[in-house]
Amino acid sequence: MLLSKKKKQKLDPDILALTEIVGAKSILHYKEDLLSYDCDGFTIHKAMPKAVIFPKNTEEVAAAVKYCADRSIPFLARGAGTGLSGGAIPLNNEVIISLVKMKHLLEVDYENRQAVVQPGFVNLKLTNSISHKGYYYAPDPSSQYVCTIGGNVAENAGGAHCLKYGVTTNHILGLEVVLPDGEIIEISNNGVLDMPGYDLLGILTGSEGTLGIVTKIIVRILKNPEAKKTVLAYFDNVEDGSHAVSDIISAGIIPAALEMMDQTAIEGVEKGAFPVGHPDDIEALLLIEVDGIAEGIEEQIEQILTVCRNRNVREVKVARDEEERGRWWANRKTGFGAMGAISPDYLVQDGVIPRSKLPEVLERIRSISDEYGLRIANIFHAGDGNLHPLILFDSRIEGETGKALKAGTACLKACADAGGSITGEHGVGIEKKEEMRFIFSDEEIDAQTAIRDVFNPNNLLNQGKLFPTPSRCMDIKKVIKETAITK
Amino acid sequence: MSVKEEELTNNSPPCASNSLSNYLWDDHPDENKWADCVHCGMCLESCPTYLETGQEQHSPRGRVHLIKSVAEGKLEVNEQFMDPVFQCLDCRACTTACPADVDVGGLIEEARGQVRQAMPLTGLKGVVSSFFLKGLFPHPTRLQAAGGLLKFYQKSGLQKAVRSTGALRIMPDHLADMEAIMPEIKQSVHKKYKNVDVIPAKGSSKAQVAMLKGCIMDVMFSDINESTINVLTYNGNDVTLPKNQTCCGALHIHAGDRETGKKLAKQNIEAFQDADKVVVNAAGCGCALKEYPELFRNDPEWHEKAEVFSEKIEDISKYLYDTGYIKPQSSINKTITYHDACHLAHGQGVRHEPRQLINDIPGVNYIEQPNADTCCGSAGIYNITNPEMASAVLERKMENVPEDVEMISMGNPGCMLQMAMGVQKYGRGGKVVHTVQLLDWAYQEDEKKGLGNKAASVKE
Amino acid sequence: MDKHLLDVAPLTDSSNRFGNLSSNLLYPESEDEVVDIVTKANESGKKLSIVSGGTKLGYGGLKSNYDLTLSLKKFSGIVEHTVGDMTVTVKPGTTILELQTFLSRYNQMVSLDPSCPSTATIGGTIAANESGPKRLKYGSARDHVIGMRVVYADGKIIRTGGKVVKNVAGYDMNKLFIGSMGTLGVITEITLKLRPIPKHTSLVMLTVREEALDELTAFTKLIQDSLLEPVSLEILTPTMSKKLINRDEYCLLIALEDVKKAVQFQEVWIDQHKPNEAVMTVHPNPNYFWQSFNELIPNSLTDLGESTHGVLKVGTRNLDVFPLLQECARIHHEGNLKIEASGGAGHGLSTIIISGNNANVVNAIIHLQSFASDLKGYAIVKHLPIELRKELNVWGESDGLFKLFKSIKQKQDPNNTLNEQRFIGGI
Repeated sequence: MLLSKKKKQKLDPDILALTEIVGAKSILHYKEDLLSYDCDGFTIHKAMPKAVIFPKNTEEVAAAVKYCADRSIPFLARGAGTGLSGGAIPLNNEVIISLVKMKHLLEVDYENRQAVVQPGFVNLKLTNSISHKGYYYAPDPSSQYVCTIGGNVAENAGGAHCLKYGVTTNHILGLEVVLPDGEIIEISNNGVLDMPGYDLLGILTGSEGTLGIVTKIIVRILKNPEAKKTVLAYFDNVEDGSHAVSDIISAGIIPAALEMMDQTAIEGVEKGAFPVGHPDDIEALLLIEVDGIAEGIEEQIEQILTVCRNRNVREVKVARDEEERGRWWANRKTGFGAMGAISPDYLVQDGVIPRSKLPEVLERIRSISDEYGLRIANIFHAGDGNLHPLILFDSRIEGETGKALKAGTACLKACADAGGSITGEHGVGIEKKEEMRFIFSDEEIDAQTAIRDVFNPNNLLNQGKLFPTPSRCMDIKKVIKETAITK
Repeated sequence: MSVKEEELTNNSPPCASNSLSNYLWDDHPDENKWADCVHCGMCLESCPTYLETGQEQHSPRGRVHLIKSVAEGKLEVNEQFMDPVFQCLDCRACTTACPADVDVGGLIEEARGQVRQAMPLTGLKGVVSSFFLKGLFPHPTRLQAAGGLLKFYQKSGLQKAVRSTGALRIMPDHLADMEAIMPEIKQSVHKKYKNVDVIPAKGSSKAQVAMLKGCIMDVMFSDINESTINVLTYNGNDVTLPKNQTCCGALHIHAGDRETGKKLAKQNIEAFQDADKVVVNAAGCGCALKEYPELFRNDPEWHEKAEVFSEKIEDISKYLYDTGYIKPQSSINKTITYHDACHLAHGQGVRHEPRQLINDIPGVNYIEQPNADTCCGSAGIYNITNPEMASAVLERKMENVPEDVEMISMGNPGCMLQMAMGVQKYGRGGKVVHTVQLLDWAYQEDEKKGLGNKAASVKE
Repeated sequence: MDKHLLDVAPLTDSSNRFGNLSSNLLYPESEDEVVDIVTKANESGKKLSIVSGGTKLGYGGLKSNYDLTLSLKKFSGIVEHTVGDMTVTVKPGTTILELQTFLSRYNQMVSLDPSCPSTATIGGTIAANESGPKRLKYGSARDHVIGMRVVYADGKIIRTGGKVVKNVAGYDMNKLFIGSMGTLGVITEITLKLRPIPKHTSLVMLTVREEALDELTAFTKLIQDSLLEPVSLEILTPTMSKKLINRDEYCLLIALEDVKKAVQFQEVWIDQHKPNEAVMTVHPNPNYFWQSFNELIPNSLTDLGESTHGVLKVGTRNLDVFPLLQECARIHHEGNLKIEASGGAGHGLSTIIISGNNANVVNAIIHLQSFASDLKGYAIVKHLPIELRKELNVWGESDGLFKLFKSIKQKQDPNNTLNEQRFIGGI
């Protein structure tokens, strides 16, 4: 019905050519349709794409890429668009290659413990598809209900349970990739380990869509652990809590998950959709989960309880049943969203620190909070040192957004200064390009861009992400940060 | 062709941008609703239209983004805007998925109001829509008459004739599909209890409740209304059917006709003024009644009345569950699955109660279906206005219905019609029933066997 | 540069039997010295071979006449160990045994079990991406290395990764160097993620006669599909089994590591579910067993040339280990050479030791390379005298990815200063 009117507009020849490749139903190119693609989960910066295409197979991806490459049209790949660092934002009026139509589970080989999926296949669907046989896919980012495995590969996604089981890169066995010139390559097409040659799987995973477009993924699947137990511990001061974290691990226990929340975070989750009834006067709580052979779990739980008691825990308890365990996790997992209950806006950061530096970094964050006059809640994958400071602010108050962004940068600086990293699982994207300088020298950044040049010599694929561009970009970012309105 | 973001806006904050807004009519989408959306995307996989199209503008966060963009002056209220806004099934699955409780449904309805005022419906769609929405549903007598026609059509043997001769082929496909599953029309409770003020409880009375008859429900599914009354009275409730009640207005509000919606809402608020509790057996209606306050968000006087009113509304399954019901003793030896009506699960948060009701009937072999709370595609009159999307959504739904079920139970008449169409179209077994009917049938058996409500124990 | 020329003893024929050396052996003891050597070699067009413990001289490489050899053997020791963070930073020349012994005092370990731990160094292990039978649970170097310092051919010092266990800032550059055979840079410092030493370990051995191998295969699948958490599922051919435990039968090695109760539970489970044919033994001293297992594979330090030994690393899908090992046993039965092999049914990596005369060893390698390739896997030669390596394609056929490999090498070491011709396709 709408087509007749649309047809009257004169079409760009690139649009016509791309339509030839993917079909008229699989391309968007009108402003109204493109507007929804002007950002991903990172909303501070927005830009309009030239078009969005929805290829159905690898050949269509390759043909579209080749078309763009031959004409120097910038392009990028997009999955569910849940990334928190702006990796899928079309800064350069890119053609967006959306992989959501390539969303099939191609093969499951239980005996060899691998599954083959297309990039648009949703993370949690893999576990749901194999759970009837007692198997699961380990990386569990909190967006796993919607995020795609292709996106997980690009970002090297983590999750609450990666302490014991590793992040995405530890579970990728093979990839099919369309290179930025349109060539299709297969890396370990049978999922065999240690293929001779440089570790291209390793370098592609986490490359934030700047080296190639993944069109098929072989992942490792795991057998469900026999049993799980969850412990909740309340501490009167943060130091005791963080010492308990180290003590648990030093005691020879690798929990499946080990999460911490500070007082402000607790205030948030208790006012959110899933309150548990945590006391409001504790400085820290730990949520600890162990899994494995049922016979061995009891002993580990006893040890964890002892460790907590030795660190002056106020109260520590084991989840009585699955229902209680579920409530504790819902309370934790909706932590970010729950901040809405105590603040109109928040900015989430993603630093990593050595576990042992936790007390001093928290102290530093406290002083950043004072300095900027903004409250900061901390939700923390304590086991692996991945800290999410949530900077609470109100964008309606003039200048507060800018302050929040600066406070976020200061938190990352604190992590870097403590010997840590500026991102543990959200990626660099646009958001933390400049902060890369906190941890890498110019030479080290050059060493990385040299690798990008191997795969993506003309830099048409996802340009302007991941690496700071000298001076010019600094200025642009400054402008963005000053004018932006953040959620 | 494409436009840089910077050219579209002066980077001024949306909250200060009323001068830029392209919403030109009153009652425009509420900025506080979209302000809660952080664009995280957790809604994507819950949205039937996103699952079908894979396109952001057909996802909840995409729609919110567009609605906000109109307010920011980046978009106009035009056909390209209308398409995503009207493709929405209004199933509210996104509301359940959203960690920030963004009221996407409310935003969509408000945006539809703007679209309808900017671009009144014309052509066949306009005729169909105004026939159903303005001409029929708000007028019980006309509906009864239409019901009468349907009944005549069925009883006369004409239905058989039409079906066998294939005369139906002249109808558009989806209307033909619909015709195939029209339930047999029985006498409406509207007629049956025309002169009755209170239908008394069987045995001693413990409470009095008012019941919403519903418009389609009472014409096409009058037996379900009958069952609802039976179950209520069996459990010690005096039931009233307040006279002036009318259509809940859900379909009008969904279609962007908020003015008619408000008119109907006011009539209902007044009609049920004396009732303490209003029991509803149609999820869509129940949800709409509960959401009257949203409709009157700019009208303080009616907003307050609507708040009071919405507190009284309860779905039949939840009412029974909360107040206690007699566990039937007769068996229904059937394999049964349950489909969550969107406006019951997502709209009212009622999930456990109907399942408990079913499981309390002896003999039932209950099977949970995967994705039980995914929309069936009925969505009010969506299956009439957006037949292609509705049938794609239905196909996905039917894939999830277990092979060997004998009954599919649910709590909404729209779903019942759509699911019945699915059963027919995909050659699946399974009789489509309302949850309350199951309970009623078991009670009737108990009564026949003399195991009446006196002897039974009430589950608290 | 002279001050680095600490050990200029002329190489004898036998000591250069494996190549990858030169008569100019340099032993830097600091990063500065490494930078100095590498920069000067690069500027003057000299070719540099890089070695460490010297166990892998027979692993890849077609040259025996490098201008200089840089040995990292004396560049060793622990730089930093943060007990609470469970990370360790170590110099490349540290042997695996030294590192594990140091860490064991803190009840920690690097979960890597490569062969020859007493002589193999951490630098070499990572450069060759070596792992052992416990890879099923432990993973490999790519799962444990969280940061490195690398000296590029032009002398630049590049840090990759960091010192934290979770990190996605920039490309995962660590991966580039793991398994790169020293062709992209000289690793001068490595930071590793640690694990606690398991509270209790056990080794359950199931042996079956050749005819009952199918039952063992079925049982291996059963374990994989059970709730058990084996650390290894290593299958030994009868010859390997004979050598290690003196039983001329196929053997399945199931390592268990957990708290005592959980280990015991698993032992009981195995006993209850094992094939009727199988004889089960619980090894009295698992650590001792694994030590002897890991020291068994010939390397360039232990292979003294009394006969020709070739060692293959074969990668297949997990369960294709069974047909591969059967093929090894079949070749062994033909009688003109000896093949001892073991393979991990949980990870698909096998080690095959072939001993005999030159021609037979080469033929067997060619045969097994094509056998592996038919299984859609690969077989690379981990150990073989250089003259025989020249007759073979020790890295297997290079495929469509070679262009990228070459381009990476070109970017990082345009003059081919580092380990020229050591790696796949003559990189």
